[in-house]
Amino acid sequence: MEREDADGALDSWAQFCTLSNELLAGDGDLAVGPRLAPVVGDLCTRGLATLVRDYFLHSLEETFRNHAVKKFWQHFHPYCSASTVDRIKFCVKEHWPEEILSKALEDICLERGYQEKCVLVLVQVLQSYEDRMPRKKIKEVVCSSSLMPRYQLMVSSVLLTTLPLSFPDILNIYFKKKLEELNSIMAGSYESDQLVDHEPFQRSNTSDWHSGMDIDGSEVSENSSLVKNIGKVVRDLRCIGFTSMTEDAYSSAIIWLLKSKVYELAGDDYRVSVLWCVKKWIQAVPLQFLHALLTYLGDSVDHGSGSSGLKSPLASRPSSFPGIGVPSEALVRWHMRLEYFAYETLQDLRIGKLFEIIVDYPESSPAIEDLKLCLEYTGQHSKLVDSFISSLRYRLLTAGASTNDILHQYVSTIKALRTIDPTGVFLEAVGEPIRDYLRGRKDTIKCIVTMLTDGSGGSGSGTGNAGDNLLEELNRDAENQENADYDDHANIDEKQAWLNSESWEPDPVEADPLKGNRNRRKVDILGLMVSIIGSKDQLVNEYRVMLAEKLLNKSDFEIDSDIRTLELLKIHFGESSMQKCEIMLNDLIDSKRTNSNIKTSLLKSSQTVPGQEEAEVSHDVLDATIISSNFWPPIQIEDLVVPASVDQLLSDYAKRFHQIKTPRKLLWKKNLGTVKLELQFDGRSVQFTVAPVHAAIIMRFQEKSSWTSKALATEIGIPMDSLNRRISFWTSKGVLTESAGPDADDRTFTVVDSMSDVNKDSIVNERMAEYQMTEEEGESSVASVEEQLKKEMTVYEKYIVGMLTNFGSMSLDRIHNTLKMFCIAEPSYDKSLQQLQSFLSGLVADEKLETRDGLYLLKR
Amino acid sequence: MKVKILQWHAVASWTWDAQDETCGICRMAFDGCCPDCKFPGDDCPLIWGVCNHAYHLHCILKWVNSQTSTPLCPMCRREWQFKG
Ligand SMILES: [Zn+2]
Ligand SMILES: [Zn+2]
Ligand SMILES: [Zn+2]
Repeated sequence: MEREDADGALDSWAQFCTLSNELLAGDGDLAVGPRLAPVVGDLCTRGLATLVRDYFLHSLEETFRNHAVKKFWQHFHPYCSASTVDRIKFCVKEHWPEEILSKALEDICLERGYQEKCVLVLVQVLQSYEDRMPRKKIKEVVCSSSLMPRYQLMVSSVLLTTLPLSFPDILNIYFKKKLEELNSIMAGSYESDQLVDHEPFQRSNTSDWHSGMDIDGSEVSENSSLVKNIGKVVRDLRCIGFTSMTEDAYSSAIIWLLKSKVYELAGDDYRVSVLWCVKKWIQAVPLQFLHALLTYLGDSVDHGSGSSGLKSPLASRPSSFPGIGVPSEALVRWHMRLEYFAYETLQDLRIGKLFEIIVDYPESSPAIEDLKLCLEYTGQHSKLVDSFISSLRYRLLTAGASTNDILHQYVSTIKALRTIDPTGVFLEAVGEPIRDYLRGRKDTIKCIVTMLTDGSGGSGSGTGNAGDNLLEELNRDAENQENADYDDHANIDEKQAWLNSESWEPDPVEADPLKGNRNRRKVDILGLMVSIIGSKDQLVNEYRVMLAEKLLNKSDFEIDSDIRTLELLKIHFGESSMQKCEIMLNDLIDSKRTNSNIKTSLLKSSQTVPGQEEAEVSHDVLDATIISSNFWPPIQIEDLVVPASVDQLLSDYAKRFHQIKTPRKLLWKKNLGTVKLELQFDGRSVQFTVAPVHAAIIMRFQEKSSWTSKALATEIGIPMDSLNRRISFWTSKGVLTESAGPDADDRTFTVVDSMSDVNKDSIVNERMAEYQMTEEEGESSVASVEEQLKKEMTVYEKYIVGMLTNFGSMSLDRIHNTLKMFCIAEPSYDKSLQQLQSFLSGLVADEKLETRDGLYLLKR
Repeated sequence: MKVKILQWHAVASWTWDAQDETCGICRMAFDGCCPDCKFPGDDCPLIWGVCNHAYHLHCILKWVNSQTSTPLCPMCRREWQFKG
């Protein structure tokens, strides 16, 4: 390079520096442009274009960093440097951060705007140079067009590298506050909307979208100016390169608001559906906001007249309109995203409270319906299963819960879940731990049978109609379903159309409405209950024992409700399974007839003997239930010497039966039945309903006011320990007192003639009290299924002990299979797994065996 | 103290006044019923032959009707005659 040239270059460079500094520092004076052109042209000719560009950009950066950026961040400095606690004080200030944010953005965008103009000046200069250059030389030259992007990149990188950590928080707070403001403005129109439109579960069809989007009335100006302000902030933020940070900020603000809206709407009230409200709200508030924002930013192009520019993307529109479809799609994506989030939030909320919701079922069915729709959308059924099983284990399947409560919750669970899951797959998974747990409980079968057949509400949480048992309910449901079938057909087209529009239906098999409905009916509550017990035979057997107990303790022959229950059981378990029970009930019907025949004839004949009138007890007091014992469960028989007067009645009665029914005869079960007594004291009397043995005991105290237990036991023909157990009923009622007897093991019992002193005061009133024996005080007439089983299983005990001696410990299954394999000779092993389990738990209770990790071993 | 019985509801079982326990034809208990019947007792009575063997009425009737020649008692092979 020549020296002269070098001087020329230095000259030009110095001029360029001066001019560009003047330009950049200039107070809006762009007149430097024309003077800059020859200087830049000269430098470019000398091949110094890169230097020109870099210097210029560098100067821009310097200026921008030192003036605009510093000033910009200073606005936020008080917040960013404050402690976490103090930051809250900022947040609650009314116009914070909107005021400073707008101001700061305005300033920096002004500066940026000016600098952009400066860049344009240089771009023009470079361009005119490039235009004068021969084509092939252009390559070497700095492309004028790259200058502006480089500048823009510089702006955002300077800002991002100096960004305080908490600036995104400020943006987030800004959007949250603005959205809440918008929400409260929109609340009015959204709520009035709610009243008009009551069509639930309506998906976003076109008209629906519009109703929310057509902004009209007084809110328009208010909310459009609000959106305009927000739009301006967003535009400015984009302008300084914060596009994605801004989008993150308003996205998370929208999501946050949606979440709190879902929480607010959902609450702890399960009796109303909230899903529809949430969806409505999404359309009314966040989508409105996004639509307005995107439109303002030019991302969405208004179409048609007025504000109804928003069209559903699902509606058919000519695809030949580019630029319209695209931004609408953005909004649709938002809609999908928000709905998904709402579904998921509501779903998680409901799943978390599913236990309570099911406790409230069926009142809580709207919440269940919501949950169903949510799960259909999200497909996260497994979440429900896992969460619900763990809450079951934690809250229900514990020693503290009664078997009845567990069963009732199980039934509610079945009812609730079959709505959500017509195929029963999840119900199967959820029910398994409940069933397993119940199988380990001794009173499970009894509770199930009671729940199925007893309408008197023996259960704790007596929901449902009084006098209504589960069987009745199941039957009524079945009848209702039959009727509903008819309506179903009328609606099928509509349903199909509806299902077709649900494009996100997860499983095409489930989407078949016919199949869905059929399956729904197939979730068979009774079948599930039977599966806990193991087999229907066991259920029937237990029912028979309970029925026998009930019938033998009746003091009348009224069995209408039992007949009804039997009819229902016949429907479900078949006539032949219920044959024995039917004979038992038939015995009661026959007994009623025979009883009245015999009594009529006995009373007639006793009238013929006038002297007998004064008989101690009249034939009138005796009633008898006459059973076909072959068809009844084994009866507990105990010898009992009843009072002579009663014995006389019994033998008269039996004689008359033999006369009427010959060659049939009666065998009395003297320990069974019920006796109504009136105990008469001085001036007062008390009635009791007791078992014959209690009657026999107390009647002996008429002849003698004091008895020793030994003498009394001999007199009424029962063992001493048995007497002592029974006589305690009378001492507990204050009729007898107990005192030391002649021997250590012999006690003396004496009548308390006037009952207690307290009662003495009420002599004047001649009060009548009545006592009914409670279940614990009562006698069991029939051997329980458990006792029967124990008897039958005892033969296997020695095999089990032998096996465990050899193998150490064994699982239930293995014991079962081994018994099946080896006990083939008489008595061959024919018990079910449940029966074995119940027997083994008896052995554990007797401390013969113990369990460890689900294995049985001998107790050492 | 005096005790007045207001009601004594007793329980009894019925049985056929027969020597055997089961019917020699169907092998079912007399106190049960024959295979054709649903309910025992009056619905499915017993009947005695002059030989003093008892059967379910329905069982012996079926037996008698199935015999081509003079019916015999299935137990003692004497000629079957209903006991008056
Ligand atoms: Zn027979
Ligand atoms: Zn018969
Ligand atoms: Zn014979």
